Amino acid sequence: MNTSLRLCHLDDISDGDARGFDPLGSGRDSLFVIRDGSELIGYLNACPHRGYEGTSMAWRKDQFLNKAKDRILCGAHGAQFDIRTGECLRGPCPGQSLTPVQLTINEHGDVYLHPTDTGK
Amino acid sequence: MNITGLDCLVFGVDDVEACNQYLTDYGLTPKDVSAAGGRFEALDGTAIEIRHQDDPSLPPALPTGSMLRKTIHGVADQQTLNAIAEELGKDREVKRLDDGSIEAADDMGFVLGFQISCRKPISVPAEKINAPGDEPGRPVNVIGADESIEIIPRSLSHVVYFVPDSKKAEAFYIERLGFRVADRFTNLGPFLRPQGTLDHHTIFLVNTPPEMQGVEHFTFHLGGPNELLLAGKRFQDKGYESFWGPGRHIYGSNWFWYFNSPMGVHVEYDADMDLHDDSWTPREIDASADASQIFNFTLVDKWMPGGDPH
Repeated sequence: MNTSLRLCHLDDISDGDARGFDPLGSGRDSLFVIRDGSELIGYLNACPHRGYEGTSMAWRKDQFLNKAKDRILCGAHGAQFDIRTGECLRGPCPGQSLTPVQLTINEHGDVYLHPTDTGK
Repeated sequence: MNITGLDCLVFGVDDVEACNQYLTDYGLTPKDVSAAGGRFEALDGTAIEIRHQDDPSLPPALPTGSMLRKTIHGVADQQTLNAIAEELGKDREVKRLDDGSIEAADDMGFVLGFQISCRKPISVPAEKINAPGDEPGRPVNVIGADESIEIIPRSLSHVVYFVPDSKKAEAFYIERLGFRVADRFTNLGPFLRPQGTLDHHTIFLVNTPPEMQGVEHFTFHLGGPNELLLAGKRFQDKGYESFWGPGRHIYGSNWFWYFNSPMGVHVEYDADMDLHDDSWTPREIDASADASQIFNFTLVDKWMPGGDPH
């Protein structure tokens, strides 16, 4: 399959917040997307923490951020990540980073996932 | 040392409101809860305490940023408390707090409290089953599958530390505080039981690189596997993120179900843990998927064979 997967509309994600997606119907969100105005930043829902690689990071559906919503917080062991770069800023995986996913937004505001980045 | 088990774990968190909601939904009973935090109690009074990470009353955080700020062990009596203060006072500062408890750090830097235990005796039947060959667990006409039952965690069970030197950490708990080894994962570390309880372990030590020092999980005992499965399903239905389970461990035999949390640790439901005394010979094996559990399931949606009849 070489067509992009439609995830949602831009307005389906509150500005400054995050949302998880399960584009392949795996039963758990395989990626998450953070909205900053008209920009979207996406990562695989997989903590790089050694020994726990691939662990889901939300502590509740769509809860991927800290209270100030200025960092990604892993609900498994508390690792904190830079929203823009995915780099671990504090916690158990220093020097490691989240895996980005490439997203596109068309002129209607529909959000598409690049076909190679389905999170599986 | 007559240490009876964990009385309380104190967290300094980023999002107090989220943690308050999480622990309430987990099933603990909120006490004195406000925007500043609160206490979340099991049936026997053991608890999790939530404070904001900048609360000046909290001991300092570990350099790794782990949100656990203090582990409070219960002891049987004042004599034990004095003995711990004297023992730990040989080589470290021991604070005596206004509430009569004492506070000192372990050899890894985890801040510990010791107090005459707040754990109240409880008398609550375990869930009961019927099986041919044994007396009925439930009286006749009493049903077992009741979705409406109230499930309140009974007792704070154990905490699992990530430690940079599990040998050194183990020596502290065994030589200074009299803990016993229940069993051991050779490549990770020991399950430790203090002298005042028969529970398989109240602490488990996992050797990790120093930058990972912190907590893997804590857990409370429930009334049995049916309660565990139902509590976990209710929790997952509220949107909380399952990490591992439900399943049943081999060492300790406890049924388990782990979830992510806004405290940045896993939180487990457990049930039916083995009891041991000093006649027990510890087992030892390298940790692996096979060594860790006898089975592991994933909750799926309810389903009706042939479709719902109409």
